[in-house]
Amino acid sequence: MFRNNYDNDSVTFSPQGRIFQVEYALEAIKQGSAAVGLVSNTHAVLIALKRNAEELGSYQKKIIGIDTHLGVALAGLAPDARVLSNFMRQQSMSSRFLYNRPVPVARVVNAIADKAQVNTQHYGRRPYGVGLLVAGVDETGPHLWEFQPSGMVLEYRGAAIGARSQSAKTYLERNYESFGDATREELVLHGLTALRDTLAQDKELTTANVSLAIVGKDEKFKLYDGDEVAEWLEKLGNTQSSRGSRGAAAAPPAPEAAAPAGDSMDVDA
Amino acid sequence: MTSIGTGYDLSNSVFSPDGRNFQVEYATKAVENGGTAIGLRCKDGVVLAVEKLIQSKLLVPGSNKRIATVDRHVGIACAGLIPDARHFVSRARNEASSWRKGYYGPIPISSLADRMGQYAQTYTLFSSVRPFGVTSIIGGLDEEGGPSLWMVEPSGVTWGYFGAATGRGRQAAKAELEKLDLPNITVEEGVKHAARIILIAHGDNSGKDKDYELEMTWVRMPPNGEAEIAADGTVRGYGRHEEVPKDIVEQAEKDAKKAVEGDDDDEKMAES
Amino acid sequence: MNHLPEAWGRPRDDIYGAYDHQYVSASNPNQHTTSPVVTGTSVVALKYNGGVVIAADNLASYGSLARFTNVERLKQVGSHTVVGASGDVSDMQFLFDEQLEQLIISEEYQNDGHHLRAKHIYSYLSRVMYHRRSKFNPLWNVLLVAGWDDGKPFLASTDLLGTTFSGPALASGFGAHLAIPLLRRVCPDEAAVANITREQAISVIEECMKVLFYRDARSMNKYSMSIISGEGDKVEIEHRKDIQLKQQSWKFAESIRGYGAQVV
Repeated sequence: MFRNNYDNDSVTFSPQGRIFQVEYALEAIKQGSAAVGLVSNTHAVLIALKRNAEELGSYQKKIIGIDTHLGVALAGLAPDARVLSNFMRQQSMSSRFLYNRPVPVARVVNAIADKAQVNTQHYGRRPYGVGLLVAGVDETGPHLWEFQPSGMVLEYRGAAIGARSQSAKTYLERNYESFGDATREELVLHGLTALRDTLAQDKELTTANVSLAIVGKDEKFKLYDGDEVAEWLEKLGNTQSSRGSRGAAAAPPAPEAAAPAGDSMDVDA
Repeated sequence: MTSIGTGYDLSNSVFSPDGRNFQVEYATKAVENGGTAIGLRCKDGVVLAVEKLIQSKLLVPGSNKRIATVDRHVGIACAGLIPDARHFVSRARNEASSWRKGYYGPIPISSLADRMGQYAQTYTLFSSVRPFGVTSIIGGLDEEGGPSLWMVEPSGVTWGYFGAATGRGRQAAKAELEKLDLPNITVEEGVKHAARIILIAHGDNSGKDKDYELEMTWVRMPPNGEAEIAADGTVRGYGRHEEVPKDIVEQAEKDAKKAVEGDDDDEKMAES
Repeated sequence: MNHLPEAWGRPRDDIYGAYDHQYVSASNPNQHTTSPVVTGTSVVALKYNGGVVIAADNLASYGSLARFTNVERLKQVGSHTVVGASGDVSDMQFLFDEQLEQLIISEEYQNDGHHLRAKHIYSYLSRVMYHRRSKFNPLWNVLLVAGWDDGKPFLASTDLLGTTFSGPALASGFGAHLAIPLLRRVCPDEAAVANITREQAISVIEECMKVLFYRDARSMNKYSMSIISGEGDKVEIEHRKDIQLKQQSWKFAESIRGYGAQVV
C-alpha cells in the first residue's frame, strides 16, 4: 500500500512527520478478528469473535484475564499480546504486594503505553503488533481503555478493534448514551449486537466463536466461553450477519482482505 | 512544500550539506500536526492550555488528560506525538525526583527545562534513535523567583517565554499572545485569554465543525508572595500545579465565544 | 551495545540486569546499620469511635544526651494518614522526607482520582522494612501508622524486623510497657472502640505522655499530637504542636533517696 524510503524502521520520520513502521503495526491489528468493549456505571464488558485457522482446529483465545478486577481483549499478533499481558500481571501483583491494593486500571494501561513507546523510538526494535481493549474496575469505577502499538492509550465508553470493527464502532456511537445506566444484561446485549455487525457475510455468532468477559463493581472478572455463552446468544436472538442481506441499511462493505482463514501465518486472531 | 533531503534525510544525526538534520525537521512536522498547546506566564502564576481534538464521541470526556504534573509545582503541556509526550514527561518526573534526593527540595523550573532540553537533544545525536515528535511547554512556580515558562522543541532548543504556543494553531495563537501585556496580567485574566486564544487557534485551522475539549491548568502564587504550607508540609492550592476548576473553565469558554463571535448563537462551537 | 570495560565478557544488560558497580568501586567496604545513633522514644496511639489519636514527644536523644528538643516525629502522609516514628532519627528522616514524600508526589501527579490511604501506606512501609531487614541493613525504627480507611479507624505497627500487627491501642518504645496498660483500661479490645469518645481518647493519651515523662529517662515534657477524625468518606486531621505536660506531680520523688530533702 505505502512503500517508500521512510518505512524501513521506527527511527525514521517521513518528511510529513509520520512514522510508517508504527502505522504499519496498526495494520496488523486490522488483520485480527473483531473485539468489542463497553462500560456502564457498574460493569465493563469485553466480547470478541474467535477465529480458527481450519475447521477442525481450535479457536484463538482472544480475551486474557489479568487480575480479579481486570482483563484484556486482543486483536493482532497474539504472541505480542501474551508478552504485554504477562507484564500487566506482574504490575498487578506488584501493586497488591507493595500497596495492598488492586492496581488502578489507568496505571497499568500507562505502564504498557510507555513500554510500547520505547519500541517506537529505538533502532532494532519493532512496535508491538497488537491492539488491546483493557477493561477493569477499580475504586473510581469501571473503565475501558484502548491500547495501540504506537503507545497511544485512550479511555472510551465503547470501543472496537480488528477486522470490520468500523461497523461495531458505528453501532456503539449510535447507542453509547444508554450505556451508562444499562443493566448488566443490557450492556452485554449491546456488545453482542455491536459484534454481530462485524461478521462477514453468511457467518453467525456461535458458542464456538464468541468469547465474553464481564467484570463489575461487585463481580470478579470472569471469562465465558463455549456453552457458557449459549444463554447470551439466546437472549440476543438473531446471531446472523447482516452483511449482504439488505441494501444500504447493511453494515458498510469490508473491502480489506477478508479474514484469510488458512493463509495468514501466525497472526493471531 | 518540503524540500526532500535527497539521501541526507534517511538517518538521524546526519548533517545535510547545508548543515541541517532533516530527521529533526521532520519531527517538527509531527508537532505541527498535533492539537494546539499554549502557555502564559502571568505576573502571579502560569497558565497552560491544550486544544484536545475529539476524535470520537465514544471517548470519555474529562479523561485522557494532555497536561501532566511533574513533582507538585510544574506542569507540562505537549503538542505532537502523544506517546513521545508521555516518555518526555516520565523523564521529567525522574529528573525532579532525583533533584529531590540530591538537594532536598523541589526542582527549579529553569533547571528542569534545561535538563529536558539536554535530554531531547541527545535523541538527535544517534542514528539508532529518532528525535521526539513533541514540543513541550513547561510551566511552574519556583520557591524563589516566581512563575516561569519554557518551551522545549524536538531539536532540544529551549527558550524561556512569557507566552508560548505550539501545534497546529501556533501562528494564530502567537499573534494573539503578542497582543497581550503578559507580565502585568493576573492568572485569572490569563485563564480567560487562554480560552479565547485556543478558540481562535482552533477556528483558524481545524474548521469549525470538529469538536474539541479545552483542558487548562495553572500554578498560582499566593497573594502575599509566600507559599501556603499545609499541615503535612506540602504547598496547598497556591504553588501547586492543578486543573483550573471546571466552573472557571466553563465561564472562560463562554466569555471566549462572546468575545470572538459577538454572540454565541451563530456557530455551533465546541462545548467541553 | 555497551563496549565499556565493565561489560566485557558479560551477558546482556537487558536480560541479566544492569551491571552492579559496587563490584568495581574502590571505596570502603559497605557498612550496615547495627545500632541507632540519634533516637526518638515512644509513639503512642489509640483508636476512638470517630478516628485515631496519635502522639510523640519532640526529643531526639544522642545516647543519654537530650540533644535535639524540637524534632517532629509525626508526619502527615497524604490526606488520610499520620505516621509516627520511634528509633533512629536519620532513618526516620529518610523515610519521611525521601521515601514517603516521593511516594505521595508520584501518586498525586497521576491525577486520576486515586489516592494512597492508610492501609496502602502501611503496606508499603512494611514491605520496605522487611526488605531492609532481609538485606541485613535495617531501618532502625518502629513505625505506627494511623488513619481513617474504609469508613473505620486504622492503626497498625511495623518495625525494623518487618514484624507487623494492628490493634486499637498501640505504642512503641517505653510506651509499649507503660502506656499500653493504661490505654487498655479504656480500650481492652476492638469492640470497646465504639464507646470511646474523642475527648476520652485525647485525655488518655495525655495521661500516657505524662507517665512516660515520669518514668522514661529518654523522654521530654513537650510533645505533638495528631487527631484523625473521619466520617464515611471524609477525613480531617488536626495537628497540635508544642503541647506541654499539665499537672505533673513529682511528689513521689521526695520518698526516693538522692532526691528532695533527704536527711538520712
